Amino acid sequence: MGGVIGRRLLGLVFVIFSITFLTFIVGYLAPGDPILVLMGPRRDPQLYASLQHQYGLDLPWYHQYFNYLGGLLHGDLGMSYRFQGRSVNDILANGIGVSIALGAMALAASLLIGVPTGIIAALRQNSWLDRSSMIFMLALFSIPTFVMIPILRAANYFVLFRNGLPALPPAGWGTPAHWVMPVAVLAAVTMGYLARLTRSSMLDTLHQDYIRTARAKGLRRRQVVGVHALRNALLPIVTVIGPSLAFLVTGSFVVESLFAIPGIGYLGVQAIAQRDYPVIQGTTVLLAVTVVLMNLIADILYSVLDPRIQAEG
Amino acid sequence: MGAFDTTATAAAQVAPPAQRGLWRRFAHNRLALASLFIGAGVIAAALAGPLLYAVDPNYQNYTAINAWPSAAYPLGTDSLGRDTLARILAGLRVSLIVVAYVELLNVGVGATLGLIAGYRGGMVDNAISRVADMLFAFPGLLFAILVAAVFGPAVTERFGGIGRLLLVAGSLALVSWPLMARYVRAQTLALKQQDYVLAARSIGVGGQRIMWGHILPGVAGLIVVSATLDVAAVVVNEAVLSLLGLGIQPPDASIGQMIRQAIDYLESNWLQVFLPSAALTLLVLVFSFIGDGLRDAVDPLSEV
Repeated sequence: MGGVIGRRLLGLVFVIFSITFLTFIVGYLAPGDPILVLMGPRRDPQLYASLQHQYGLDLPWYHQYFNYLGGLLHGDLGMSYRFQGRSVNDILANGIGVSIALGAMALAASLLIGVPTGIIAALRQNSWLDRSSMIFMLALFSIPTFVMIPILRAANYFVLFRNGLPALPPAGWGTPAHWVMPVAVLAAVTMGYLARLTRSSMLDTLHQDYIRTARAKGLRRRQVVGVHALRNALLPIVTVIGPSLAFLVTGSFVVESLFAIPGIGYLGVQAIAQRDYPVIQGTTVLLAVTVVLMNLIADILYSVLDPRIQAEG
Repeated sequence: MGAFDTTATAAAQVAPPAQRGLWRRFAHNRLALASLFIGAGVIAAALAGPLLYAVDPNYQNYTAINAWPSAAYPLGTDSLGRDTLARILAGLRVSLIVVAYVELLNVGVGATLGLIAGYRGGMVDNAISRVADMLFAFPGLLFAILVAAVFGPAVTERFGGIGRLLLVAGSLALVSWPLMARYVRAQTLALKQQDYVLAARSIGVGGQRIMWGHILPGVAGLIVVSATLDVAAVVVNEAVLSLLGLGIQPPDASIGQMIRQAIDYLESNWLQVFLPSAALTLLVLVFSFIGDGLRDAVDPLSEV
């Protein structure tokens, strides 16, 4: 198992190098002179030179990259081009908590609803419950995030608010009532995917020989399912948590900007409008590295849970 | 994260497809067949739209804002008094043009590099595979968002709307091609070992000719299926980019932007959100079903 983790760590170094290098190169090649933007209408060669030096832009590109990498290793994402003297860390700091809360709640919701739905559907294969819940989950999986948002908001407005029933706030972030719609929208796709995956994995497991053996030796159904089947059926779920996170990250851009939630995605979209490249770069690196690290944890967890992985690793 | 994982090798076990009976097998899938006709209709409507329905999608009528459907406006108007039917047709046209460019790049770059990497092996393979791996490092659309955000304003200033369109397509292709390259490389590796390739080589056929004349036909089915399945993702991704303000710039129409704009007026006119959303969902579903049908028709054994 040490070998697997060692190889994964080596892969991690390459992946993090790729993310930081490509992000840096895109920012380096960005058209326009950030110092001129920063100076506004002022034209002062001395100030220009000192600002250029302050931002390290007078150095050759590889030197700039090493400075950037060095900063990242210290958790420093650089300086904003838009707000003189403000660091990217400072700008993004407010959003991190909000984004983590949103992402964690969405992941938890999709696991807590998607996985049990899949298990129940598998145990009642081909029943009315199985078919209808799987069609519903397929719909959740297929409807794009930004189509789901107006559907929920319309339902909230026309069904609840118009009839004088307690309705959810249409946008914003603060009280738990604000959380419901964004979390539901963000969780929908992952939930649909997890439910269908759990169902097929559970069905696969239920047809294994050892399950027949367990049943043949007279174990109760509850014991066969709960002890023997569930543990193995749930293993594949761990592997899709990584891809799900990648989806949650892209989804959070849309969800945060359409619900006006002050998270990383929202700040990133604002930075796009303001052409504040270091903030956009910071958002990209932060989100990409988070996903990569979570992926690594899922991989290690999987190899711990399933000893058969060693043979391949 | 590793070089080329098991999903790619699974795709590689596909033998060269039997092209005969392809249409019969495809047509047997009713959903795919219906999708093909609907898709052809949508494409024809989007492309021939300006001829059949000659209304300027950017003309603003301030006396008809957020209007419900009427004789003058078959699908109503948006919050700036623009004709929704004309804007949906224009938006679909943008989506389809972006899709065409992305798949051109996806097949032209991704499939070609995958073929070369798989056939040549060694250093060439290593270089191509590492570049693909670097792009794989970014989750989802993140790198496309970064590229479109950083280069967008300057490209629009210098090259106008067409430049922006190409930039959107280029940044989306950055997300698509590594996967295509991975699939094609894996299948090329498998086909390279086949007896007929050995036979061709033993009678003195050159490397280039083996690659393009003998291996490419065996990979063609996989390329077409992957590209078709990728279309649905590209349609959604293009909409996400325009929703974030990174796609086609106003006043030109794009489906993502129409949804973004109309969502603020949901309470007074929900139809204006519903129509572009429905058009987009239809396009996505149609291409997914065609892709699924093609996959099953090309390789009848690869159910699910």
